[in-house]
Amino acid sequence: MLKLSHICKKLGNFALTDININIPAGEYFVLLGRSGSGKTQLLELIAGLNEADSGEIWLDNENITRKKIQDRNIGLVFQDYAIFPNMTVFGNIAYSLHCRNLSRKAIGGKVKIIAEELNISHLLNRFTMNLSGGELQRVALARTLITSPKLLLLDEPLASIDASLKDDIKRTLRQLNRKGLTIVHVTHDYGEAVSLATRVGVIHNGHIIQEGTPDIVFKKPVNKFVARYAGIKNFFRVKFFNENGKWKARCDGNLVFSLAKDNYPEEGLMILRNDAIKIQNGEPYKGNDNHFKGIIKEILPSETGMEVMVDAGEMFYIDISLDDFKKLNISDMSEVWISFPAEAGVVLGGNV
Amino acid sequence: MIKYNPFNWILLILSSLVLMFILAPLAGMFLHTGGHELLETVNDKEVQRSIWLTLWVSFAATFLFAFGAIPLSWLLARRNFPFKNIVQGIIDLPIVLPHTAAGIAILGFISRDGFLGKTADLLGLSLINNPAGIALAMAFVSIPFMINSARDGFAAVPERLEKAALSLGASRSRVFFSISLPLAWRSIMTGFIMMFARGMSEFGAVVIVAYHPMIAPVLIYERFSSFGLKYARPASVLFIVIALAVFILLRLISVRKKETHLLPDAET
Repeated sequence: MLKLSHICKKLGNFALTDININIPAGEYFVLLGRSGSGKTQLLELIAGLNEADSGEIWLDNENITRKKIQDRNIGLVFQDYAIFPNMTVFGNIAYSLHCRNLSRKAIGGKVKIIAEELNISHLLNRFTMNLSGGELQRVALARTLITSPKLLLLDEPLASIDASLKDDIKRTLRQLNRKGLTIVHVTHDYGEAVSLATRVGVIHNGHIIQEGTPDIVFKKPVNKFVARYAGIKNFFRVKFFNENGKWKARCDGNLVFSLAKDNYPEEGLMILRNDAIKIQNGEPYKGNDNHFKGIIKEILPSETGMEVMVDAGEMFYIDISLDDFKKLNISDMSEVWISFPAEAGVVLGGNV
Repeated sequence: MIKYNPFNWILLILSSLVLMFILAPLAGMFLHTGGHELLETVNDKEVQRSIWLTLWVSFAATFLFAFGAIPLSWLLARRNFPFKNIVQGIIDLPIVLPHTAAGIAILGFISRDGFLGKTADLLGLSLINNPAGIALAMAFVSIPFMINSARDGFAAVPERLEKAALSLGASRSRVFFSISLPLAWRSIMTGFIMMFARGMSEFGAVVIVAYHPMIAPVLIYERFSSFGLKYARPASVLFIVIALAVFILLRLISVRKKETHLLPDAET
């Protein structure tokens, strides 16, 4: 479907470097990155708003690298929708059809169908100034979808929408993808990636640093940057060693972790998912291989329940549900046991 | 509510002085002009012809030069090219030139020895002492107002709207006429009015290119130098009233156009 091959583009002090992505038809690909990581620039290159310095863009086995923007048949929805303020909702949606010189009747019919699909029929005669973020997003989607694009590019489509409307738009996007539309969605929000993507690419400083299914990318991040995106806070700089045939890792603070697999490098960065660590205020959980006694430094509410910060020679961040928190009956400065299985430790490839 | 501290008092006094400076001479002129004299001037065919000439020639000059000025404004707002700053400087040049010097330059250009003059001569047309020559002199001194205002208008149109239109399959020219031009319209109209008003009030450049037919500022000068202040006053008052009426009318027409809110381009 879409293939980016060795794409490079210099933009002032910033550069997209050797971008290679292969997106099969029907995929929902989420490109995740912070602002300034180059994700919007990459979308603009695919759409044809800018030209790459080198590399090739292929769409359905056709090299479109130098193809005119008007002939690419790629739909792009901008971050703040870029709705034309001098036109009504109808005028906005019909814009591309006017460009193709369709008859007034044909335009009216097509606009009506797409407006019904996106639940904006009642807005057609209104100017766009007083529309809500969610309504504007639907108008922008309708305006793009009416061109029947082969590929839909979305630049931060949920960034300017009220939380209550986000689920609505997400549902619409999922439906579009299920109908077979290939989507490339750019965002800085990990939650969007997890809830929408069939595949994720993480972009940082103009490089794609990891690509794969959300499950793999966020459970086995290649480096600290990707791990942080998944909300992981437990990072340990460790030295690996073999003791009686078992691999272990020693932290800077001399804590030693038992590990599950073989063949570790001499040293590296190890992560533990916040929810992989168990916390107990009596005896440690026997099923796990690593047990440490520590003192609770801070307890903060989190999206999933509570985040407990435990000092056990190293600082551990542990996510627990609200029910578990109530059962544990813990507070600041409580003495607790933390434990995690040997398999929980993931060694990262680099340190971004 | 404004607090009456010394700073506010100083601001109030200085601002009032500036406003008085503008209004007092005009008010004096109006007060010294009797109704009878004014009525006589209104019925004076020479004055009528001169005011009409001033209005239509300035309007025609503004209208015709807009066709070149608007694309140039778009280029200045949207494209980067070598020596862009120099081009911008050239556009502003007429504002800083003494207007009589501008008149001399225009005269050289449109006289029979000049390029434009020779070309017009071939068509049996003399640009000197002709409305066409007056229009050129008016346009020369007033075109920076149109270009600068339109340029600011185009620059304020978010580029992503133009990009969105391109991605929807619009040609560059369609994007210009359906997005850039309508969204910059208010600034273009403001520039149009400013150029028209500036052209209408021009004396220095026009008097060198064409003493006759007389535009209103030249007529007022002629009445003053031949008959004195008393005779120049009613023509001045009449011209000011008509110029103000036209100015207000054009302003109202441009303001009545639906206001559109433009958000600046988002950072990426």
